[in-house]
Amino acid sequence: MTLVDKEPTAAIEDIQKRFEGAGYICDMHIATCIYLSQKLDKPILVEGPPGVGKTELAKATAELMGADLIRLQCYEGLDESKALYEWKYGKQLLYTQILKEKLGDLLEDAQGLDASMDKLHQFGDHFFSEQFLEARPLLQAIKSEKQTVLLIDEIDKSDHEFEAYLLEILSDYQITVPEIGTIKAKTKPIVFLTSNNSREMGDALKRRCLHLYIPFPDSDRERQIIETRVPEVSENLRNQLVAFVQQLRTQDLKKLPAVSETIDWARTLLLLHADSLDTEIVRNTLNMLLKFEDDIDNMHIEIPKMVAEAKKVTR
Amino acid sequence: MNRPLAEFVDMLRYADVPVSIGEVLDAARTIDLLGYSDRNLLKSALSQVMAKTTDEMVSFDQCFDDFFTIDTDLNLGENLLEQASDIDESENSDSTDGGEDAQLAALDNLENAPSASGDGGGGGGEGSASSPSEGSGMQPSTLLEMLEQADRTGLTMSMNTAAEAIGLSNIVLSTQRGLFTRRVLDEMGLAEVNQEIGDRRRADNEEGAEELSRRLTVLFEATRDMVERQLALTSAGKSNQFRQEVLKKIRLSNIENRDFRIMRDMVRKMARRLTDMNSRVRKVKNRGHLDIRKTMRRNVAYDGLLFETHWKQKEKDRPKVLAVCDVSGSVASVARFLLLFLYSMNEVLPNVRSFAFSGTLGEITDLFESHGPEEAIPEAIEMFGGRSTNYGRAMEDFKDLVFDEIDSRTTVIFLGDGRSNGADPRADILRDIKKRAKRVIWLNPERKSVWGTGDSEMPKIAPNCTVAEVCNSLSKLELVIRDLLKTS
Repeated sequence: MTLVDKEPTAAIEDIQKRFEGAGYICDMHIATCIYLSQKLDKPILVEGPPGVGKTELAKATAELMGADLIRLQCYEGLDESKALYEWKYGKQLLYTQILKEKLGDLLEDAQGLDASMDKLHQFGDHFFSEQFLEARPLLQAIKSEKQTVLLIDEIDKSDHEFEAYLLEILSDYQITVPEIGTIKAKTKPIVFLTSNNSREMGDALKRRCLHLYIPFPDSDRERQIIETRVPEVSENLRNQLVAFVQQLRTQDLKKLPAVSETIDWARTLLLLHADSLDTEIVRNTLNMLLKFEDDIDNMHIEIPKMVAEAKKVTR
Repeated sequence: MNRPLAEFVDMLRYADVPVSIGEVLDAARTIDLLGYSDRNLLKSALSQVMAKTTDEMVSFDQCFDDFFTIDTDLNLGENLLEQASDIDESENSDSTDGGEDAQLAALDNLENAPSASGDGGGGGGEGSASSPSEGSGMQPSTLLEMLEQADRTGLTMSMNTAAEAIGLSNIVLSTQRGLFTRRVLDEMGLAEVNQEIGDRRRADNEEGAEELSRRLTVLFEATRDMVERQLALTSAGKSNQFRQEVLKKIRLSNIENRDFRIMRDMVRKMARRLTDMNSRVRKVKNRGHLDIRKTMRRNVAYDGLLFETHWKQKEKDRPKVLAVCDVSGSVASVARFLLLFLYSMNEVLPNVRSFAFSGTLGEITDLFESHGPEEAIPEAIEMFGGRSTNYGRAMEDFKDLVFDEIDSRTTVIFLGDGRSNGADPRADILRDIKKRAKRVIWLNPERKSVWGTGDSEMPKIAPNCTVAEVCNSLSKLELVIRDLLKTS
């Protein structure tokens, strides 16, 4: 299933519409990025504050394309045996044992050492072969016959070495296993890398990717998102809560509330049967938005003012 | 690859967006795909291809806006034609009133400086001149015909072609403005128009001559504006780069206050680069947990006997740095920058403790951690500076404070001129430190030839250091530190 069979502008609008259908509101910038990555066969490096829908973007893409999502969560100490491939050493051991047992039968008629060696070489070398190769996420994505979406999540948590393993996949969609050779992708996976920028990525990696920065959404887009994700919320409340969150983001906080928090909050308010904001309810549910005690304390005094402001905006 | 893209890339590189060749190729493909028709789309797409960090995005946006105000002239050929014909269709509506339609305004924008578009002076003149324009105005024609027919599109295109032909993008100095404006006009065929004006005057067609020369003036102004924009473009980028180059090489003591901010960014970049390079050193330790999977995998070849072991534990070789900075009067001019460097090291390295002294010595790590460099550095100078240097005293203090913490992984860096005002520099303490530490580095802002003159104690100090180096400019500083980190 392809997203990009039309003229650029039409295709980008189309992408926007279809993502909206899949419950993901994306602006022109994101849609352009999806379009380009399809046309240029390039991975997308998605950056932005936590909770703006970086991972969701990959999931929505997979859903739209009808592709399998293969997800690799990065962490410090992630190495090639967990990300790329691993030998099934247990089976390899069994194989050598079987080989040992059968060796006598096989070399029965050979006379002398040289003849035995010749005979031995005639058998296929199965010890290092794809049969004994255990595919990890990256290799799975490469070997898959079906279209896949490969999500390499929080790449900034991984080590420098791991970045280097990725380079071959990202630029050529292939993996080299020293014992076997190069495995090329049958269908090129759509690759998303996400990063919270806890460390700067290497230039080599950045060069191979399209760079997509997703900021906090503006109020229009956030309203749209809430409308799609929590449709039960009344329009009045939706406008108010978005206006409130948008104000909150202008404050000096340790962690600003992201879209995911807004969605959670909207759900909470729905559960509490609120149909408009008031100081009391905001105070009681503020822990859905702010994740630090300090932040909550600091905002406590500001709440009445901000609620009033939020109500004014929507009127 | 087309020329505007190449120029745009040049500009990006000047503006500190490192665009690689691969990215340029991607950009070219992107332009092929999307075309120039939708400016916002193109900007968004190109920013994804070429700018790879948020800082770079900011520079990119700036560059794109600056550049493509000119570049739209170059590339929007067809589009401009359409717009021009639109104007024709709208009955050559005289645009002297405020109700100019957007396209017209856009066109004015292209021809005149953005600021001029509002006042309607140029626009009005052009608008009234467009009455005789006919459909044939689209054909490439001479400057004279274009002026007669007020063919903006043709004029704009011809102006840009001329600019390209004479190499306008090479303009660097503001004194070249007149020259380049003249050259562009010449290239467009100024001579013929002047001739015509002269002819008309002689033929007593005073009105025609006036009109033509008035139009020529409008064109002249437009050209000059274009030249100025180009100048602003190239020189802004180039001069920024130029300044950075200079700052790198200039003596630290000669750097002025106003460059402090630029310096700060540069120092930070440098410190980050150095630590990035350094933190990659990893060692596999032969202890801790056995990595069973890896061990098994390695030993299949030995029939599963655990012959070659592999351990889970890895150690990141994080350097531990103790840095001591002289802030006394004799090094006052460079102290700020030495402290700045210390500050940046504090930011990027996890284990740096910083100390400052002139008479007595004290730790400034906490100060650095709690304040920005603008407050922390003067504060440090205030707290410890101003007194006469006593290296012996500082050495003793240093020993009392941290001698026990110095181990074989510690790097001790001294930043100072080694001028002790006659007091014993206590080189013996330095020798003890050197014995315990991984290395002791002495960075001296003075030239080597004056080491040992006057009250300089460098001859006593230098033998007790792993390295004693001259360090009087930023690039020297980087060189010294990099060498040291490499030979770990």
